[in-house]
Amino acid sequence: MITAEQKPIEEIREMIAPYKRILVAGCGSCVAECAAGGEKETGMLASTLRMAAKMDGKDVVIQEKTLDRQCVNEFVIQLDESIDQYDAVLSLGCGAGVQAVAEMYPEIPIIPALDTEFLGETMSQGLWIENCLGCGDCMLHYFGGVCPLARCSKQLLNGPCGGSMDGICEVNPEVPCAWQTIIERLENFKALERLEEVYPPKDWSKKQGRGPRKIIREDQQR
Amino acid sequence: MTSDKKPVLALFYCQNTHASGEDERQALEQKYGDSLKLFPIPCSGRLEPLHLLKALEDFADAGYVITCPEGACRYFEGNLRAKKRVERTREMIKSIGLEEERIGFLINSKEGPKPLTDLADEIMDRLANLPPSPVLGPSVQGRATGSRQRSKGDKV
Repeated sequence: MITAEQKPIEEIREMIAPYKRILVAGCGSCVAECAAGGEKETGMLASTLRMAAKMDGKDVVIQEKTLDRQCVNEFVIQLDESIDQYDAVLSLGCGAGVQAVAEMYPEIPIIPALDTEFLGETMSQGLWIENCLGCGDCMLHYFGGVCPLARCSKQLLNGPCGGSMDGICEVNPEVPCAWQTIIERLENFKALERLEEVYPPKDWSKKQGRGPRKIIREDQQR
Repeated sequence: MTSDKKPVLALFYCQNTHASGEDERQALEQKYGDSLKLFPIPCSGRLEPLHLLKALEDFADAGYVITCPEGACRYFEGNLRAKKRVERTREMIKSIGLEEERIGFLINSKEGPKPLTDLADEIMDRLANLPPSPVLGPSVQGRATGSRQRSKGDKV
């Protein structure tokens, strides 16, 4: 899923300062799972901003609504019935959600309340880690289901650097050595010989450098 | 800032904590009247930051939660969660310049558990000199009545 964190409240207040009628729009998908922009967080942020406005003696209207998904037009369109009441939307969607709402309502400023972070896995309650870079050319089957690009601090494709100690990365002592994990996994499968292959440098053109990526599925289109 | 008006406390308490039944609740309501709004919850782990924020936004000068002693939660970790959520809420109100003392929690004692009435007294004493909340204008102060009044949402 896509992970995100709320921006500092001071930054949010600065961004919404010019506006008098603000909709705080949450998203019930990825950012709800990572406790950044779901219904609860949307309510908390809206309540905090209303209190801040009252303390400053500002006459502003701050209301809230959480969509199931901000990145899908069929859900964004639910704002149609109320969007005219506002002169700005403070979105707790990820970057894709913010842009989907902005695309749908180009005449209204859509302000991001979150910093979108990474494609993450929920490791445990309250802990998310990045384990996919979305490179567009998945090689996980070679590496025992561990991505060396996302999880090795040096992004090495052809074996460990030799700097890890007791299975811990020398760059970041909080990170397990991805290559130690890869080797242990491949040993489990009795497939260590896969590492004898030399993997060429990653072709990053599948990820970046040609504008926004696009997936077209004609069988899914109207 | 000084005021003769007594602070209004929104008090959330775990119904499993010692001596926190209907008799204690009624005694507190009689003693403190509109200055104390009681919110019994089945476990302090049910508390969300939003409950405290809404109370501060709508009617309360302070919001507190009473939890069972550590290691004595009927649901194992509800009180630990409540503590973290209170801390989170304190950070949030601090970020907008509101005194963090307006949010707090009290853990009942494991060795000598006190009844709800004593714990509420302790909190009310602690808040006796708390100035009125800058969030609540004069027209808002004292508008909540009844111990179980819920704050109204502002959803569209």
